[in-house]
Amino acid sequence: MTAAFVAPAALWLAVFLVLPFIAMLVFAFGRRAPEGGYLPAFTFEQFLNLPARATAFGNTLLLAPVGALLCLLVAYPVAYYLALRADPRHRLVLISLIVVPFWTSLLVRTYAWMYILGSRGLPSLLEAVGLPDIRMLNTPGAVLVGILYGYLPLMIMPIYVSLEKLDRRLLEASADLGARPVATFFGVTLPLSMPGVMTGTALVTILLLGEYLIPQLLGGGKVFFIGNALVDLFLQSRNWPFGSAIAVTLVLVVVVVLTVAMRIAWRFAGTRRVDLV
Amino acid sequence: MSKFITKPITASEFTSEFMRLKRGSVTRRHFLGITGLGLAAAVMGRSGAFSLEAHAQDLGTQMSLATWPNYHDPATFEAFTVKTGVAVEVNVFGSNEEMLAKLQAGGTGWDLFVPTNYTISTYAKLGLIDPLDLSKLPNYDPKTETPRFTNEGIIDGKTYAVPKNWGTTGIAINTGKLKTPVTSWKEFFELAQTEAGGRVMVHDYQLTTIGNALVSLGYKFNSIDPAELTKAEELLIKVKPHLFAINSDYQPGMRATDAWMTMCWTNDGAQLNRDMPEIAFVLGKDGGEIWSDFYAIPTSAANKPAGYALLDYLMTPENAVREHIANGAPTTDSRVLALLPAEVTGNKIVYPDEAALTPLEFGAAVTLTDPARAEVMARFKSA
Amino acid sequence: MRALVFLVYLFLYAPIALVVLFSFNAGRSASEFTGFSVAWYGKAFSNTFLVQALSNSLFIAAASAALAAVFGTMAALAIERMGVRMRLVFEGLFAAAIVVPGVVIGIATLVALAAVFSILNPVIAGIWPGESPPQFGLGYASIIAAHGLFSMAVVTMIVRARIASLGRDIVEASDDLYATPFGTFRQIVLPQIMPSILAGFLLAFTFSFDDFIIAFFVAGSNTTLPIYVFASIRRGVTPEINAVATSVLVASLILILAARLLMREKKTRPLGED
Repeated sequence: MTAAFVAPAALWLAVFLVLPFIAMLVFAFGRRAPEGGYLPAFTFEQFLNLPARATAFGNTLLLAPVGALLCLLVAYPVAYYLALRADPRHRLVLISLIVVPFWTSLLVRTYAWMYILGSRGLPSLLEAVGLPDIRMLNTPGAVLVGILYGYLPLMIMPIYVSLEKLDRRLLEASADLGARPVATFFGVTLPLSMPGVMTGTALVTILLLGEYLIPQLLGGGKVFFIGNALVDLFLQSRNWPFGSAIAVTLVLVVVVVLTVAMRIAWRFAGTRRVDLV
Repeated sequence: MSKFITKPITASEFTSEFMRLKRGSVTRRHFLGITGLGLAAAVMGRSGAFSLEAHAQDLGTQMSLATWPNYHDPATFEAFTVKTGVAVEVNVFGSNEEMLAKLQAGGTGWDLFVPTNYTISTYAKLGLIDPLDLSKLPNYDPKTETPRFTNEGIIDGKTYAVPKNWGTTGIAINTGKLKTPVTSWKEFFELAQTEAGGRVMVHDYQLTTIGNALVSLGYKFNSIDPAELTKAEELLIKVKPHLFAINSDYQPGMRATDAWMTMCWTNDGAQLNRDMPEIAFVLGKDGGEIWSDFYAIPTSAANKPAGYALLDYLMTPENAVREHIANGAPTTDSRVLALLPAEVTGNKIVYPDEAALTPLEFGAAVTLTDPARAEVMARFKSA
Repeated sequence: MRALVFLVYLFLYAPIALVVLFSFNAGRSASEFTGFSVAWYGKAFSNTFLVQALSNSLFIAAASAALAAVFGTMAALAIERMGVRMRLVFEGLFAAAIVVPGVVIGIATLVALAAVFSILNPVIAGIWPGESPPQFGLGYASIIAAHGLFSMAVVTMIVRARIASLGRDIVEASDDLYATPFGTFRQIVLPQIMPSILAGFLLAFTFSFDDFIIAFFVAGSNTTLPIYVFASIRRGVTPEINAVATSVLVASLILILAARLLMREKKTRPLGED
């Protein structure tokens, strides 16, 4: 009974997760065919060539957490307002409005940003007030704006959920005991919303590690994430073995980042629980 | 999806039988997809071509063309659809490498595509294109073509591809924004790091980006010499922080004046200059690329009759003339040349003096597949 | 703080407003407004390729989400009854299905399927009795399958969280009252987990409908809406794309509102009737 119920999912995991991963591993030890593609071999040369993509890995490992932190900085006040300050009658509408952007294609919305950041958008407004020739599109800044735009809702939601669950009597108690609002925030609210903060940050960081579209469209092919380097290896260089080695490495990076994030989250959760008791 | 549901408008008995079969298989595929037997049923992809070949008059309702950005007059396809009932899906690519990668991976669905001269021998070698059946192209006349631009379409006496137009890869420069004149690739890369900083685009593929960097250093456009490639890579990586973008679709950037200077194909140069006279097009006096683009039909094409029909339509001089006027690339066909208005044939961007072409080189087949050049480009992009 | 929140909403909605605005553009460009017109809506919905991409996307999203909802729920129920070791294996695999980047899933699936097909197709051709043997290829099935992987993992996660919060007592009570296991499932468990299954289905649908990178690699010759939009960005976006995006947005808003109204109606019914 149990076996029958889990069989379809198990089949799926086997054919579309495990098998592709094994294929990647096998390819990663192969060689590039003369016209591109894959030649069977057993060599470590693809992995030895990984430093050739050090910059892309570096960019990703820098911009993913930076992007996530940026999202966090903007998302926290919004989530805080929605959970604790907004008129309860409007709360549902306001929350829905955070989610609604997901219903328009991210590609189309990112294209809109290409226009806003291009010469005919914001830079032309700046020119009108006497700041000519400011370039925004195809810069790391543009990519960060795209990241903030694309991932902000994903950061707001978990923080909102954890703030919303917060027992308001704790805040009253803190105030009754003479704590200033700032002290209450740092002593009570922030620690109690930590699970949401951790979830959001980990989620956004991990999704960003594999980002392709935003750097591609707003970075002009210049700001390269490892996802872009990966696509490039399959679509331009036709170097399947090296691409496979990079894909395998990227998965390892994700696993490492996830493990570290979970360790941190666990420590936070652990100590805070002690504090509360 | 609707492709399979829509009934064919013109239906010979055989075709309707075939379509029923196809419909049947697709319904089964959908059903199996939903019930989770999934891939086991993803069949019948390729088997479509077998019967249509014999019924050339039945062209289906749609086909797919893979080509370059801003490379056709949209009215051409609208007219073709009106004439034949076949809607043309136009897919645009940034490089021959990308087209090759797609065809190698399979399942492109293209019925006609536009490869450049130096790629055709590779496609033929890999079995990705078949020799063309010239009896299906009555409007193509090899005798009126210019052999210099067309001979790479013929391998071992068999015609694998017929020419679309030729052209050059030069420099488009917005003279309203940049005061320093540019006449060579050496100056192109110098200006990119100074006055034009942050406003220059290079192509998103290795042949021209690396080739022109090599030329600017005094090497051959097609060089695969490791030491020379290293020098070119150093130059490109030094220039990269000053670039606006690495992208083969530079018209939007140039038109919006986000970019002020770019590597540029003849046809784009002519289009940009036509609409914005301040954008000039110059050929590098130190070298660069001369090329010709072809039409070819992939072996895997699902609707070859429509592919041939569109190709023949495009080979008809009256249609080709409109394409050439809109696209701005020079023709290889003397019949078309005779029909072109004087302002096109007298345009020095489109038909430069022979002397300006002398330093230019055709891309070579080895350059396309050389792994070192591919890797230099990939490193430059991910640097 | 209010001002900041207002700015964030502005930031979220400015691009959407721009998309909607340009859908009513009279000119050909999606970046220069030359006058008001609804012509692009007509053009968009009579563009065979765009309509086909849209209907492909709807079909693929519905199929992969339905598949994920059924198999994911089944897996969630099964995992609850497993031994610790098996449970850990499945938890690990489902977690991997969620966190492995889409770009890797797309490329790895392409590479694996290409390898499998290159072995399988000649074999089939060898044993096929007829003229033209069927050939495996990339298409709807491969997109649905690849999307289904992520979606199934998401549904399993959501439904398991719900099951965990249910507690065993109602199930035990039902068993004590001589309900059959299937009866208990249908009358007690299923109604309780139904909202989670629906939430999972919606999430899966949204994911599949908006996914570009996985479909980009495994779509073969089929085109989904995001693939069409990506191609359009290269060949020059016309307001057709904006018209379709706006229509999708309005349609989903109507659906959300309808769902909300239905739920409100349900809530106002007297207790006990549910």
